[in-house]
Amino acid sequence: MPFGQVLLAYADAAVAETPDLALRRQTVADTLGQAAMVDASAVIAIFQAVVKIADATGIPLEDQKAEISADFREELGINTYKLE
Amino acid sequence: MEPEIRQDLTDAHNRAWDRLGRPGTWLTAEERVYIASETRSARYCSACTERKNALSPETEVGPHSNGSPLKSGWVDTIHRITTDADRLTKRWFYSVVPSILTVEQYVETVGVIAETIAVDRFHSAMGMVLRELPTPKPGQPSHETVPSAYLSDAWVPTVKPHELGKNDPAAAFEMYTGRGSAHIHQALSLVPASVSGFFDLDDAMYLPDALLRRFDIETRAISHSQIELLAARVSALNRCLY
Repeated sequence: MPFGQVLLAYADAAVAETPDLALRRQTVADTLGQAAMVDASAVIAIFQAVVKIADATGIPLEDQKAEISADFREELGINTYKLE
Repeated sequence: MEPEIRQDLTDAHNRAWDRLGRPGTWLTAEERVYIASETRSARYCSACTERKNALSPETEVGPHSNGSPLKSGWVDTIHRITTDADRLTKRWFYSVVPSILTVEQYVETVGVIAETIAVDRFHSAMGMVLRELPTPKPGQPSHETVPSAYLSDAWVPTVKPHELGKNDPAAAFEMYTGRGSAHIHQALSLVPASVSGFFDLDDAMYLPDALLRRFDIETRAISHSQIELLAARVSALNRCLY
């Protein structure tokens, strides 16, 4: 994926609020443009919010999504995220 | 020089802040703004940091760094959702509802927390100063109920679009208009204004539902793939199973 690592580095810095955030943000702007940096910032932010809704209301994964993701959820250890 | 932010994004943030300062469905405007204030406090709360780093989320920690007059159980609820959401349990939920908050107040609280985080984390990521919290406007909550909502798979009562009936308010039908009906859309459906409010932000910050699977149409400066890469990464960093 084009510039995937640049975007991932920005997401990591934004979520953890690390000292290199400004640098990571500028790297996105320099490589993909200002508008892309703004859009990336917006996606990062809204997903930091939507996870709270999911976790705080206890909604389960839809059956269809659970079925198609069963193998790689197990492989990636994602199932350990859920507590009863 | 500040980067140019697309107008629809700024407008969505303006609408969110206007909603924040108005009476809600179950909460006064003052309570809503206090929740936003506590959501902000939680980010730098030493008690929350201590608990987040502890092996168990039930670890006894010191008092929260807070400045609102909300009762302590409510403050703890806000701080936990903000900082330790991936370790919330059904058992914990039932320690909050109904003894600390009614389920309706809880759902609306979650909505306010989410909208506050969305707007604030955008500003933080961009290196911008956080917006000043709005001055609460007078008035009473509407207390508009959704009679068709019921307990099924989630911790809170929810309602699917096709389950809405003639006794449900117009806002309940509106919250699903032009939207999907995935569980994430249903999560706050006990309080339709919370659904409409959050997904108004989501449309501008992520993508409108109608465009989610339209891989032939790119409306952002980053592609669908790049958007989903970011979404997946942030979700994984937050250890969100859903």
